[in-house]
Amino acid sequence: MARIVACYKWVVDEADIRINPDRSVDLSKAKKKISDYDKCAIEAAVQTATAIGGKAVGLTFGTADARQSLKDALSRGLEEVYYINAEEAAQADGAATANALAAAIKKMEEVNLVICAEGASDTYQRQTAPRIGAVLDWPVATSVSKLEVTGNTLTAVRKLDDCLQTVKVELPAVVSVLPEINNPPIPTLKAVLAAGKKPVKEFSAGELNADLVPKTRVADLQGYVMSRKNLIFKDGEAVDQVKELVAALKKEGVI
Amino acid sequence: MSGVYIFSDKNDIAAEIIGFAKSAGKDAILLVFDEQTAKVMGNSGADKIYLVNGESELVESYARSIAQLLREEGAELFAVGATPRGRDLAARVAGYLNCGMASDVSTLSCGDGQWLTQRIIYGGAVQQTEVLEGLAVVTIPGGKFEPVSGTGEMVNITLAADRRISLEETMPIGHQGADLSAAEKVVCVGMGLEKEEDMQLAKDLAAALGAEIGCTRGIAEERYWLPAERYIGISGAVIKPKLYISMGVSGQVQHVVGIRDSQVIVGIDINEKAPIFAAADYGIVGDMYEVVPLLIKALSE
Repeated sequence: MARIVACYKWVVDEADIRINPDRSVDLSKAKKKISDYDKCAIEAAVQTATAIGGKAVGLTFGTADARQSLKDALSRGLEEVYYINAEEAAQADGAATANALAAAIKKMEEVNLVICAEGASDTYQRQTAPRIGAVLDWPVATSVSKLEVTGNTLTAVRKLDDCLQTVKVELPAVVSVLPEINNPPIPTLKAVLAAGKKPVKEFSAGELNADLVPKTRVADLQGYVMSRKNLIFKDGEAVDQVKELVAALKKEGVI
Repeated sequence: MSGVYIFSDKNDIAAEIIGFAKSAGKDAILLVFDEQTAKVMGNSGADKIYLVNGESELVESYARSIAQLLREEGAELFAVGATPRGRDLAARVAGYLNCGMASDVSTLSCGDGQWLTQRIIYGGAVQQTEVLEGLAVVTIPGGKFEPVSGTGEMVNITLAADRRISLEETMPIGHQGADLSAAEKVVCVGMGLEKEEDMQLAKDLAAALGAEIGCTRGIAEERYWLPAERYIGISGAVIKPKLYISMGVSGQVQHVVGIRDSQVIVGIDINEKAPIFAAADYGIVGDMYEVVPLLIKALSE
């Protein structure tokens, strides 16, 4: 049965990131989640698999703590999840990530479509789908807002900055989807309970025989500080607050 | 020849990257895919312009051949304008080369056989500095470098394209009203808006200011109150108006990335702790249903 593979990343919830006064970054209190945009990739895989009578499967490359993601991913309609459990994931760049994912895809049978999100909500590099395509030497369509599989062909609508493009792609192929492609539903209680019984296939780094050495080196991480005036009118009557704001905007010369 | 190889489907970004290469003391080699662009870019300071001939209309389809060209020529860097086509081509080339890549960099500099880049991660909360060794790929948004002038040689080259993908149809995007990224003033609505009918309040404020209306991702993609091209943020529009006023926008980092280049940022929200106020020049903590009508009235006076 044709497999549609949705790639996802287990990421730090950026809302929990704290920046210390010295601008160092504190991730210690941050919870983790499936990257928001990847939920759309999973849903697109589920919808496509349903439409063609195929099998939607998940694929993730993460450290030991990505195990926590499996049940969540499986509750979103995937039939099984492939989990590359490797410490190398902690330092992985775009190259290592794509090499790992592509190596796992090669080990699966009958894959005819790989769906990624445009970018992960932590790094938002937007490299994974095109890089996987290159490593496998499969055709790629990025910025996809609509997709349909008929036989051995994918028809995709790409939303670029200046136009919409309809492209036809020979399968197997890799696509990256925009978040507007669908609205992933919240898993039902039944789906959450069923997720625990679904199969997980685990790969170790050694099994994959892929180049997981990062090609980019992170030299520094610093909290981003936006210097703004931060003049907040919070007391008094609304009418006076508005008066002060209008006076300030006039002084700025923007109204 | 070695040097910085450059592509952008936006000529002004290509010209800026050529400016960067020259300021770094490198040869600038520009790839173009049609004669018109070759002509327009003739005096942009590139030492060499490759006019690529091939069988595909999609520049991304040449990734494999471009990777091979870069390797054969001993290229030092493939620097690409950060647009949807550019990001796609750049990452595919990096994949074929199995080399390092930094996406959407805010700074780029050249060291001893190294490239130093900075970019924003975690939805805008953190700035990451990366070092790339040897042949590497970067994508660069517009406005980072100064263009230069000067002419170089033009060379025709034929490259093989991936024929497994073909272009069936191109349609212009029907923008409803002006382009948000070019708007001088923007009123932005967020999830604090209670009902779809209340969009009228935003429309009235926008009319009083002569502003375009934008929104957060939730308004466009969860509630469908505005079309997707109206949402501002890391995966949506990135704007740089003179004035940005938000109503009921909490100011999640993904949204703030889209507004950080605004000249003046104003937030109106009922929650004093909303992160929008940390990102704002001016703010009013209050009920927007009370504040905005007063603001419209004051602006009309």
